[in-house]
Amino acid sequence: MRPVVKASLHYLALAIVSILWLIPVYAMIVNGFKSNLEVLSSPVLSPPTSLSLTAYITVFNALAKPLINSLIVVIPTSFISAFLGAMGAYFFYTLSYSFSKFSSAISDVLFSLIALATFIPYQATLIPLTRLIVSMGILDTYIGIIFAMLIFYIPTGALLMSMFVSVIPRSLIEAAKVDGTGDLKIFMKIVFPLSMPGFISTLIFIIIQSWNNFFIPLILVTTPNMRLVSVAVQSYTGGYGTLYNDTFAAAMLASVIPLAIFIFLGRYFIRGLIALGGGGKGV
Amino acid sequence: MKKGTIILVIPTAIFSAILLYLVIWNAVISFTNWSLLNPKISFVGLQTYFSVIRTFQFSNSILHSLELSASLVAIGNILGILFAGLLYFLSSNKARSVFLSIIIYPLAISMAVNALIWLWLFNINIGIDWLLVRIGLPQFPWLSSTSTMFPSLILVSIWAYTGIAALFYLAGFMNIDKSVIEAARLDGASAFKILYKLLIPNSFNSFIIATALLFLFSFRIFSLPYILSGGPTNIFLQTAVVYMYYLFTVEFFSQATAVATIITVIASVIIIPYALIIIRRWIRK
Repeated sequence: MRPVVKASLHYLALAIVSILWLIPVYAMIVNGFKSNLEVLSSPVLSPPTSLSLTAYITVFNALAKPLINSLIVVIPTSFISAFLGAMGAYFFYTLSYSFSKFSSAISDVLFSLIALATFIPYQATLIPLTRLIVSMGILDTYIGIIFAMLIFYIPTGALLMSMFVSVIPRSLIEAAKVDGTGDLKIFMKIVFPLSMPGFISTLIFIIIQSWNNFFIPLILVTTPNMRLVSVAVQSYTGGYGTLYNDTFAAAMLASVIPLAIFIFLGRYFIRGLIALGGGGKGV
Repeated sequence: MKKGTIILVIPTAIFSAILLYLVIWNAVISFTNWSLLNPKISFVGLQTYFSVIRTFQFSNSILHSLELSASLVAIGNILGILFAGLLYFLSSNKARSVFLSIIIYPLAISMAVNALIWLWLFNINIGIDWLLVRIGLPQFPWLSSTSTMFPSLILVSIWAYTGIAALFYLAGFMNIDKSVIEAARLDGASAFKILYKLLIPNSFNSFIIATALLFLFSFRIFSLPYILSGGPTNIFLQTAVVYMYYLFTVEFFSQATAVATIITVIASVIIIPYALIIIRRWIRK
């Protein structure tokens, strides 16, 4: 085959995959702009004949409060998780200096625990989690949702940050140790600033994950006023009563923040994903 | 170790301990008969497990979970290798990151939102079928037939999670020594041959990571089957986590904790080796 033909086939294959992958987001964008009249006659895949904001106006009134609730929960959750996780990660880094059997056993147990917290089907803790939150008197409050999310996302932060902290050169930290600097100070002055790109990756990964978390707000919120956006969109699940332009407008409003972050800071999100696989290099 | 060092890990340790407490508490309750009918808790040993395991709903839902995970692991790995190969041989870094972003973006959107969008795409009159009919293909019943419902769910999860497998394979391919690839190129090896003979055999790590994570992510998918199925009466899309949630909502607490414990055990079998081998190796080098 001639190289030109080969290259075009290569791009053609990628173009087909891309088109298939983009169908849902295309549907989400075009259908939110259809008028109530148009959705009754036009299929999902056809673009609107004229731009109408009716669906967005209807849906925005219902989703404004959930959107604010989500922001109130997600911002502290992600910053606290990434920062405290980074501290924990530096602890693991210091543990890897000492080769004693005891400390490596501790690090194995803690590591398995934070991996468990990161990957466990968190639905499996449904009953004790609900009970804990009820007994603390924080069911249906922002604090309750944030607290529950921290249980899962602080370990996630520690797991991801461990990957990024592990590449900091040892000599820097050893030099500071020789000068008699304490670990907390080394963390604040050296480790944290040096791992800033990793911190941003971890932060963005947790923002997107916690924004999209459906299950925790589903079980820990009991009044409509406290609903987060990921759960609020569920009321648009098809059926005969729903116009589908409303569904897609709701989907768009619920996704606009994670999608915007993904479009502008996607490489940080991707680095977070790679760190889950146990490596910070490559791509 | 100095006191100052321990302070660093206290927050992570506390929250990990809470999680451990939740998991253990859950396991303890699974040995009782606590439910709406038995508000007074008493220990019954493995009885709850025996009664749960015998039910049709349990075997049905756990089978669905395992089928979903197995399909996603198999298809996700194959497509992941294929897509990573296509991306690897792109000469432009910019094009590579654009295409990579396109196959990864479903991970940035909530599964609840994904489910919502696919519900309409699967609509038999106005969804994808409208296009299929227009280009002369037969309609496909997606969610409206009991035999095609579950494959449709698998399809959405493949769309959502293939990107992560492709990412791990691409990262693996990129770490392989460039000079070996160049040498093979000079010898006139085709891209397909390089992929087959050099890249794939050298990405065993990527295979392990992709498999572990695809399994774990698909095993805990909740909102997708929860929303696509439309409710507890649709057992054709019921996975283990969804079934457990319904057991909880009807206040069959000990049954729900028993199912939850089984789910936790299955997940831990993958998570703990993953943590001890893959991650520790990376951190300690």
